[in-house]
Amino acid sequence: MPIEFRDTLATLSGVVTVDEVDQFAGWLRTTPKARVSLRRCRHLHTGVFQAMLRYRPKVTAAPTDPFLAVRVLPLLNGGISGPPPARHRNATS
Amino acid sequence: MNALLAQFLAEAADLLAQVDEGLLQLEREPGDPALVNEVFRVAHTFKGSSGLFAFPELTRLTHAAEDLLDAVRGGGLSLDSGMTDDLLASFDLIRGWLAHVTTHERLPSSAAGDAARLITKLRAPLGGEKAQDEAAAVVHVARRVVPAWLDHFDQRWLTEASTWLRTTSSRMRFLRYTPDQGCFFRAEDPLHLVSEIPAVDRVDVVTPDSWPPEFDAYACLIGFVVATRAGVGEIDYLFRYVGDQIEVVELDGEAIRRHLTGEPPTATPHDPELVADAQAVLAGALRCLTLGDTISGTRLSATAHAVGAAARALGEPVDAAEADPPELREIVTRLLGDAAPTEAEVPPRPAIEMPADKPDRAHADDPGGQVGTKILKVDQEKVDHLMELVGELNVAKNGLPFLADAAEEEFGSRVLSRRIRDQHAGLHRIAEDLQAAVMDVRMLPLSVAFNRFPRLVRDLGRRLGKSVELTVHGEDTMADKDVIEALGDPLVHLVRNSLDHGVETPAERLASGKPPTARITLAAVADGDAVTVEIGDDGRGVDPDRVKRKAYQKGLISEDELETLGEADAVDLVFRPGFSTAEQVSDLSGRGVGMDAVRAGVAKLGGTVTMKSEPGRGTSTTLRLPLSMAVTQVMVVSVAGQRFGVPVDLVQENIRVPAAEMSRMLHSEVVVLRGEVVPVIDLARVLEMPWTPDPDSDRAILVVSLGDRRAGLLVERFHREVDVLLKPMEGLLAYAGEFAGTALLGDGLVLLVLNVKEVLGLADRVS
Repeated sequence: MPIEFRDTLATLSGVVTVDEVDQFAGWLRTTPKARVSLRRCRHLHTGVFQAMLRYRPKVTAAPTDPFLAVRVLPLLNGGISGPPPARHRNATS
Repeated sequence: MNALLAQFLAEAADLLAQVDEGLLQLEREPGDPALVNEVFRVAHTFKGSSGLFAFPELTRLTHAAEDLLDAVRGGGLSLDSGMTDDLLASFDLIRGWLAHVTTHERLPSSAAGDAARLITKLRAPLGGEKAQDEAAAVVHVARRVVPAWLDHFDQRWLTEASTWLRTTSSRMRFLRYTPDQGCFFRAEDPLHLVSEIPAVDRVDVVTPDSWPPEFDAYACLIGFVVATRAGVGEIDYLFRYVGDQIEVVELDGEAIRRHLTGEPPTATPHDPELVADAQAVLAGALRCLTLGDTISGTRLSATAHAVGAAARALGEPVDAAEADPPELREIVTRLLGDAAPTEAEVPPRPAIEMPADKPDRAHADDPGGQVGTKILKVDQEKVDHLMELVGELNVAKNGLPFLADAAEEEFGSRVLSRRIRDQHAGLHRIAEDLQAAVMDVRMLPLSVAFNRFPRLVRDLGRRLGKSVELTVHGEDTMADKDVIEALGDPLVHLVRNSLDHGVETPAERLASGKPPTARITLAAVADGDAVTVEIGDDGRGVDPDRVKRKAYQKGLISEDELETLGEADAVDLVFRPGFSTAEQVSDLSGRGVGMDAVRAGVAKLGGTVTMKSEPGRGTSTTLRLPLSMAVTQVMVVSVAGQRFGVPVDLVQENIRVPAAEMSRMLHSEVVVLRGEVVPVIDLARVLEMPWTPDPDSDRAILVVSLGDRRAGLLVERFHREVDVLLKPMEGLLAYAGEFAGTALLGDGLVLLVLNVKEVLGLADRVS
């Protein structure tokens, strides 16, 4: 089971697929002050990602997956820009 | 087969039919924007779905067709019949491919070559030279235009990126990905796709301005903007299946800076015509400036004004108003110089261009989200199986009366017998309703059979140089699917015949005082439990004398008949095997197997074909077919203790004739029936069964009529009429042509149903 729900905390692990979207969105809708742990998550389906953008749960644990950590997490934290651009440039150019 | 592929193939058939129909209508009413839109959308859906599978040729070909249609839709091109031919040919090719895919799950090996040929043709009206490039690239890259969606990037990052790019004089690719709302249903995962892009510098998400109050977790409402150093080829490859959902621009730091400082991008920057116009203006200005060295005054200010406007249109506003000629020349040269890669300035593909279409597409893509009546798509085999079960139920039900008889006779319980009969009556009613319901499911409108004719008539008409208009009536008449399927070939034959032999060329028609456009009519009418289909034309009609002479030459009729045959009978000769009146055998019809094949085909369905013709005025052929073939009513008779069925349609009457009234004529028995002589065939003798009628008792004779032939079948006893489910003769019995099939009777006995035509033929041979 890629998502484990406990009270107000959902723990996402491994590859979260489209099959989880409905349940996850439903949980977010009905859970005030929801918290989500992404630590062991390796990939988020767009639907799950979208639901998080919609309901903005607090992300309690950052993912270890590089793409999720560098690219996706900043978007979930309210669009605050990620690591300084200078560092990327060195990394990617 | 992969379930997704199976579904695609099922839908593809519908889509192809829609395209065909739409294109033909479009050719008739070329300007109709709704129609163009319709066809375009179908082609678009097709391309979209094809992208799910590894059929690049299919995607490329539909893409080319879609582009052509898009140009037509945009009004830049008017559809002529050459283009329609190419488009139809493309979709025909696709139809062929899909047939191949259905069996082999891959495209035929010739696909790439065939596709390339058609793509070149399709692209020709769009300016052929960029055909190759465009065909290969799903993604188009714009270099000059700074799109507004750049604002979705984090502004601080954008500023830094702009500075860096300017410092290093390099460019970066910016990509906007707007996934389709229903993309989750097609197993697309946009975020995953984004994560695959190499050398990503920045990803930002585009969320809707406000979330809908009813949040649908399965509707993808978000999009992404990505800045990457990945090459166009890489982007192209990654997004090959969703090419219409992304926009790519390649920008340098300067362009971004101008965008950030808010120098207003006037007009709509991604209008290619505008860009082309602007460049034309600039080129003109440049000529002006280089030729006339001493340009001044109003001329100079007008030129400066034009340059300024063109620059704004290109999204690179300049302050040209006060410039003197050399400055202006420099500005123009710079603007034009940047414009060098003109061919890349094709706007991004539809998704963004046609917001009006979006809701529609979301619906169409939404599986199960049908608006209006709910329609189940059921595999034909399942319905057939259901029908078989209904048949079995009928058989089982028919067993009850036998059981009732047994209860009374063997066990002496009249009460039990009556109760069984009551049960039987109830069961009978339900079984009949069930049968009617299943038959109803199998009913299809005749439009299914008629659909292909507009296309056929158009194509053949063009090939033969004849102008023909097809009118279809009663296409909503319903008939059993087996009948409709079986109707296809005879109808094609008849329509081809009308076109090839019946209809004259426009010149001939004018000469005989008819309008140049011929008319072919297809009309269907429900007629009791039969359906009548009439194929009529207003062509030259059948010349009875010519038909008779031809038939005589071919040895189909004797000299006597040549003299005596009436006009109606003469026309009927065209149904004789081996008859063909075409002076030249063409590839359309006229191989001399046509009409007799039609009659045989229809007869096999238990129907009839008749032809009426008025020389010079036209021909009309009428097919009459039973509405349903699933259940056959047969009359049960017995010979030598063995029961046989005879289809009730063919039975005219049952008579009992005293043995003394039978007479012999020309070595065969005959009976005189209301003044008409009817030959009597001894069924026992024909079927080689040991039985001789009791010389004292009356003869039981079943009078059957087959076409224009009447005959009496001498049988031992008549039984009742029953509804049976006829099973064809298969396996070891397949050789027995005198039987049409077998059916199971209620008491468990197998009933052999006679093929009356074969039986009569056999009787002729026996005597």
